[in-house]
Amino acid sequence: MNPARRILFSIVLLGMLSLGMTHASPLAAQEVQITGPLAGAPACRSCRIYRRGRISLTPMVGFSLRDEYNRSVFTGGSAEYHVLDWLGFGAFFMYSPVQLATSLTDEVESQGVTTDRNRLSLPSSDNFSDQIGSIDFIIAPQVLFIPLRGKLALFQRIFVDTDFYIHLGLSIVGLTERAHTEAGICDEATDACLASQSARSSRVTMNATFGAGIRLYINDFIAINAEWRGLPFAWNTSGTDESGSEDGDFPDGVIDSDDRISHFNQMVSLGVSIYLPSSAAVSN
Amino acid sequence: MKNFSFAVWALVIESLIHAPMTSAQDMSFDLEETEEETPAETDENGFLGPDGDALEPGSDIIGDLALSDDELNARMDSEPRDTTTVEEEIYAVQQIFALRLNRLEVAPSFAFTLNDPYVRRRALGLGLNYWWSNVLAIGFNFLWYDLEGFQSESDLNFFVRRSARLAVPITEWQLGAHMNFTYVPLYGKFMAFNKWIFQWDAYVIGGVGFQRTRPIAIIDPEIRTFDYEMRLAFNVGIGLRIFLSRFLTVFAEFRDYLYLERFESLDVALGEARNDKSTWLADSSELVNNVTVQIGITLFFPFSFEYKLPK
Repeated sequence: MNPARRILFSIVLLGMLSLGMTHASPLAAQEVQITGPLAGAPACRSCRIYRRGRISLTPMVGFSLRDEYNRSVFTGGSAEYHVLDWLGFGAFFMYSPVQLATSLTDEVESQGVTTDRNRLSLPSSDNFSDQIGSIDFIIAPQVLFIPLRGKLALFQRIFVDTDFYIHLGLSIVGLTERAHTEAGICDEATDACLASQSARSSRVTMNATFGAGIRLYINDFIAINAEWRGLPFAWNTSGTDESGSEDGDFPDGVIDSDDRISHFNQMVSLGVSIYLPSSAAVSN
Repeated sequence: MKNFSFAVWALVIESLIHAPMTSAQDMSFDLEETEEETPAETDENGFLGPDGDALEPGSDIIGDLALSDDELNARMDSEPRDTTTVEEEIYAVQQIFALRLNRLEVAPSFAFTLNDPYVRRRALGLGLNYWWSNVLAIGFNFLWYDLEGFQSESDLNFFVRRSARLAVPITEWQLGAHMNFTYVPLYGKFMAFNKWIFQWDAYVIGGVGFQRTRPIAIIDPEIRTFDYEMRLAFNVGIGLRIFLSRFLTVFAEFRDYLYLERFESLDVALGEARNDKSTWLADSSELVNNVTVQIGITLFFPFSFEYKLPK
C-alpha cells in the first residue's frame, strides 16, 4: 500500500472509529423505563408454584420399548421432593409382573433349527422362551431438573399448566438371564444340555439412567405424568452363545458374562402425580 | 506499521461492537404508543440536584461517596435519572403468535426408523402443507431412503441366523410418498428458567400414499433378485413444532407408516422351479408397521401475515 492510500485508509478508519464512539457514549447513562401495567413485570405473574417445597407421589404403569425377545410390563411409581420449582430429588421404582414374548421369540420357537453347531445356543427351539432374559425391577435414585413450564390449549378450549422435566440418576436393575453353563455341556444332545436351557440366574446391575417427561396439571395437586427413560446396560437378552473373550474366540462353548451385549434399553410410563401439601403457592 | 494497523483495527472493532447499542436507544415496546419524557435539565456534567435542579458547581461529590448505603439508596430513589420512557400495553385478548391460515409450509427433514430391529433405515424428507384454516392443513410428504449408507442390516439379524438358524426376511426401501392431513389440537407456550417464552404446538397427522420397496434376497441370494414395487401405505402420527420466529420452526414427528409387504419366501424350490420367479415370494403379505421419527425445520410462506382483527 502506498503512503497516500495508507493515509486515506487511516483517515477513513479513524472516521468510523470516532463515529462509533460518539454514538456509543450517550448510551452509557441511558436507562429504558417501562411504564404501564407490565412495568417491571416478570415473565410470569401470579404463577402457581407447583413443585417448590412439595412432595410428589406418582403411581405409574409402563412398558419397555424396542425389545428383541421379551417385553416387560411395569408397575410402580416415583416419589420426589422439590427443593426449588426447577429442581427436585427423588426415587423411581418399577417392578415387572408381566413379561410378554415378542414375535421374534415366537418365530424362533416355531421355526428355529438346532444343529450340532448351535446346540448350546438353542438346545430346543420349543423351549426358547425359557432362556430369554427379562428385566425384573428398576430402582433409580434421581435428580429432576425442570427447565420449562408453561400452559397449553387443548382443542382451543381446555387450558392446562404443563411442565417439562429431565431426570438423571443411578439405575439399579434386577435381571434374570440364562444361567452360566459349563464347557462342553451341549456337545451332545443330552438332558443336561436341555436342562441348561431353562436354568435361570438373577443379578443386579448398576448404571446411569436418564430421560424426560411432562406433567399436565389438572388442579393444584394432581397432574398427569408421561415419561420416557433410557437405561443403557449390557445383558444377554437371548440366552445364546454370542461371543467369547475379547479376542473374539466365538463360539467359546459356554454361556457366561462374555455373552452380554450392550443395549440401549428404553421404557415409557404413564402416571398420576399427587402433590403434598395439596395447595400450591402463588408467585407475586 | 503492522502494530499500528493492528491497533487501529482493534479500535474499529471495539467501536463497531459498541455502535449497535445505539439502536437500543430507539427500543420501542409498542409501535404507536411510545411516549418520550423530556429529560430533566442537568448541569454541565450531567448531574442533578436532590430536587431535580442542576447542581451548583463544586458540589460535595466526595461527601456523597461517604454516605451509607441506606442514605445512598434513599438519595438515588429521590433523584430523577436520565431515562427514556416507553409505555407497555396489554390487551384483553392476546393474539396467537403465528397464524397459519392461508400459508404454505415447507418442511425439509431427516428421518429414521424406530421400531425395526432388523434394518436401520434413514431418509431425507420434504413436506409441503397448505393451511386452509389455522388448525387444519392438507399436504404431501416425500421420503427418499435409497442413499449410500442410509440402510443397514442390524447385528440382531446376524445373531439370530447364527444362534437359531433362522433367517428373518428383510426389505429395502427406495421412497415413500404420502398425502396427509394435519390437525393442531394443542398449542401453548413454555417459559424457560422463568425468563424466555417460546411458542409451540402439537399436531396429529394422517393420510395415504405409497411405499416403493423390494425384498432383499437372503434365503437364496444366488438366484433371487427383486425389483422395486409400489405398496399402498397409510400413515398416522403426532408431532411437535416449536416456533423460532413467525415463519421458522423446528419440529419432531413420530409417524407410523403401515403397508402390506410381501417378503421373500423362506422355501427354496428344487430343480428348474428354483428359477421360477413365482416361487421367490411368500404366499401371503404381512402388515408392516413402521414407526419413523422425522426431525427438521419448517418455513412458512409468506414470511409475514396480517391479523384479521386489531389488537
